[in-house]
Amino acid sequence: MSEVTYSGNEVQLVVFKLGREEYGVSILQVQEIKRMTDITRVPHSPEYIKGVINLRGSVLPVIDLKKRLNLPPMDYTDDTRIIIVKVEDIIIGMIVDAVSEVTTIDQMSIEPPQTVVGGIAADYLTGVGKMEDRLLILLNVEAIIGIGQEVKAG
Amino acid sequence: MDISQYMGMFLEESREHLQTLNNCLLDLENDPGSLAVLDEIFRSAHTIKGMSATMGFTTIAELTHEMENVLDLLRKGTVPANDDVTDTLFKCVDTLEQLVENVASNSDKPIEIKPLTAKLAAIARGDFSAAPNKQAAPSMTGLSEAEAVSAEPIKFDATEIHVVKAAKQQGMECYDVQIELREGCLLKSARAYMVMNALEELGEVIKSIPAVEDLERENFDYSFQVVIVTGVDSERIEQAVTSISEVEKVCVASSVIAANQEMAPHAVAQPERTLTNKNDKQPLKDRGEKPAVNDANSNVADKKLKSGQSVRVDIDKLDSLLNLVGELVINKTRLEQIGITHRLAELVETIEQMDRVTTDLQAVVMKVRMVPVGQVFNRFPRMVRDLSRELNKEVNLIIQGEETELDRTVIDEIGDPLVHLLRNSIDHGIEQPAERQAKGKNPIGEIRLIARHEGNNVIIMVEDDGKGINADIIKQKALEKNLITQAEADKMEQSEAIRLVFLPGFSTADAVTDVSGRGVGMDAVKTKIESLGGMVDVETKINEGSKFKIRLPLTLAIIQALLVKVCDEIYAIPLGSIDSTINITPENIKTIQSQEVILLRGQIIPIVRLSKVLNSPDTCVHNQDELFVVIVHMGENRAGIIVDTLIGQQEIVIKSMGKLLAGIKVIAGATILGNGQVALILDVGALKQ
Repeated sequence: MSEVTYSGNEVQLVVFKLGREEYGVSILQVQEIKRMTDITRVPHSPEYIKGVINLRGSVLPVIDLKKRLNLPPMDYTDDTRIIIVKVEDIIIGMIVDAVSEVTTIDQMSIEPPQTVVGGIAADYLTGVGKMEDRLLILLNVEAIIGIGQEVKAG
Repeated sequence: MDISQYMGMFLEESREHLQTLNNCLLDLENDPGSLAVLDEIFRSAHTIKGMSATMGFTTIAELTHEMENVLDLLRKGTVPANDDVTDTLFKCVDTLEQLVENVASNSDKPIEIKPLTAKLAAIARGDFSAAPNKQAAPSMTGLSEAEAVSAEPIKFDATEIHVVKAAKQQGMECYDVQIELREGCLLKSARAYMVMNALEELGEVIKSIPAVEDLERENFDYSFQVVIVTGVDSERIEQAVTSISEVEKVCVASSVIAANQEMAPHAVAQPERTLTNKNDKQPLKDRGEKPAVNDANSNVADKKLKSGQSVRVDIDKLDSLLNLVGELVINKTRLEQIGITHRLAELVETIEQMDRVTTDLQAVVMKVRMVPVGQVFNRFPRMVRDLSRELNKEVNLIIQGEETELDRTVIDEIGDPLVHLLRNSIDHGIEQPAERQAKGKNPIGEIRLIARHEGNNVIIMVEDDGKGINADIIKQKALEKNLITQAEADKMEQSEAIRLVFLPGFSTADAVTDVSGRGVGMDAVKTKIESLGGMVDVETKINEGSKFKIRLPLTLAIIQALLVKVCDEIYAIPLGSIDSTINITPENIKTIQSQEVILLRGQIIPIVRLSKVLNSPDTCVHNQDELFVVIVHMGENRAGIIVDTLIGQQEIVIKSMGKLLAGIKVIAGATILGNGQVALILDVGALKQ
């Protein structure tokens, strides 16, 4: 599964919104959060790859997370953010509708993905975190980036 | 001790010393008597031994230790540097390379060194196959006592002579003290220091060989020599030194001085030489400095001096430095724009000055990344030697222009193609000695590896004086393999036919040898070179030889490019692949079998509409009255690329787009423009599908 190491029983998450749902990624994978910027389209790249951006001198790909997860598209707003994540030696940006907070969740309150039934393929999830009256969908960033599977050009 | 932090340094230095060993062994083969070379080999082996012992890599230490024993005997001349011995030493270096790579890859794959150490021990015992060699050195057992003791006098400089003379006038005596430490003695420098201390109590030490600094740095084997001016007699000196622990032997002789220096060394009488031997097992052999060694030392010193002026820098750090400079340039451009929009004359002036600095800075950073091509070249002599032996051919490799500099990124990539070309020349090009003789050629074949600058390119050539490439045979082979049709073959010119060797799957060798003939060589070379933005070409003459010519850009990191606009998107086309730009009207475009073409100076050039190739958004409007065409060449072929606007020529910094986007066709990379926006670089070679 995820190579994220959890210290103790608590996991620190960056919480963001896609549509009306709340998602989380481990803070250990997040490098920084950036406002929307100019994105250069890359021809012949997979559809969910929005393009490439300039992050202080390095060029990195940005994926449209909603397209990747087959969620209905929405226009970018002032709240739109790019979350820069690093997995293994790959750094990419993920476009999300808004970043809400950084929170801590108990490992015990995370349900494994196979029990989840929903729109998103279970492959892209590591589980669902239950927080009082909220549900956080925890993303499997490796799967989203496609590590282990080749990105087909065209 | 935490050794991991020294790991990088250990690996790097070991590899460097292994390279030196390889080179020096090759030199030794050509000049078996050379003490200078032997000394350098010894030094390198010794350094590796020391480092590996410190790092706890006992196998490496053990093997180098055994090597040292043999090297020491080679230095003394008791073992000749014949083929058997050098072969064994080469094998040792190979094994050491494996051992070091094992350490590097953290692999615990066992490597057997027993056969090698046994062989080395046998050689050390005098048990080697006495292959014919130009210089048969006297065997160890044949050494008479007298010979063993005879030594050349130490050379003194003028002041030292003066000191010695003055001392003699005062009734003092001058002695050469030869000290040999016990083998495997730890803290040699400390022992040496104790010896010096003991001697200084008795008189004045005026000289030591090696110099005191070298003694302090343990830059000596187990023996050293001291010249002392003293009133006491030789026995006192002997006693004083022998009382120090771990001193194996001491030999005190009254020094032969200055006036004799010009005389032939062997003619010098050595009176009053006493010999002490703590365990009397073997006769003491003198290790006095020989004149040849002096010369050698100065050579080595020169080399050391050169390398001493450089600093080892991690390439990643240089990359980030380049990135930062790139950032600086981009930010400068932004400031410029602000200055212009807000009409801030003062700001604009300041930025102009800053511009100069950043340009210089960029140039310097680029220069720092340049590495002499010799780094790659110097591994070839060994390869050529091994290969030519394997194939029973005699080949002389001549390397020229190894100081030619290339960007580090290119250097790293260029090795493999060159290996292919050299192997090819030795295997297919150079004939067997008998065959060469029959043709009236020198039986020893010659391969030249030449690098030189040519404008903004570096040219690397692999030239051989072998049998050349027969265009007819090439055509025949290509036909057999269905790579070309008979009709194509008939109208093909010789030079064209020869280029067929670069086709994938092509091979002229009837039998697959270990060396080449699998048909994977030349097309791999071509692909690699082209991926580096270079070109490879071949010229050949039957029975005179072939010449493979590689043309490479100086650097991969920064290139000149033409920026163009297609549907509001900016793309960069490397200037290296652009022939010209022209304006045409839509009427100029004709079609041949629905392929759009234009006629340019009588030549039919196919047209590529960039907006189509790049799947540009349909919404954009193209100007239909005037079309901009960029004529590019891809190898032999040319094509015209239709773009919306030409922006202009600019130096661009090539950035990788990362693993995720590697291999996207038509795009060769990305760059960052002055306004911080990312623009993609077109892969011209992939445009025509």
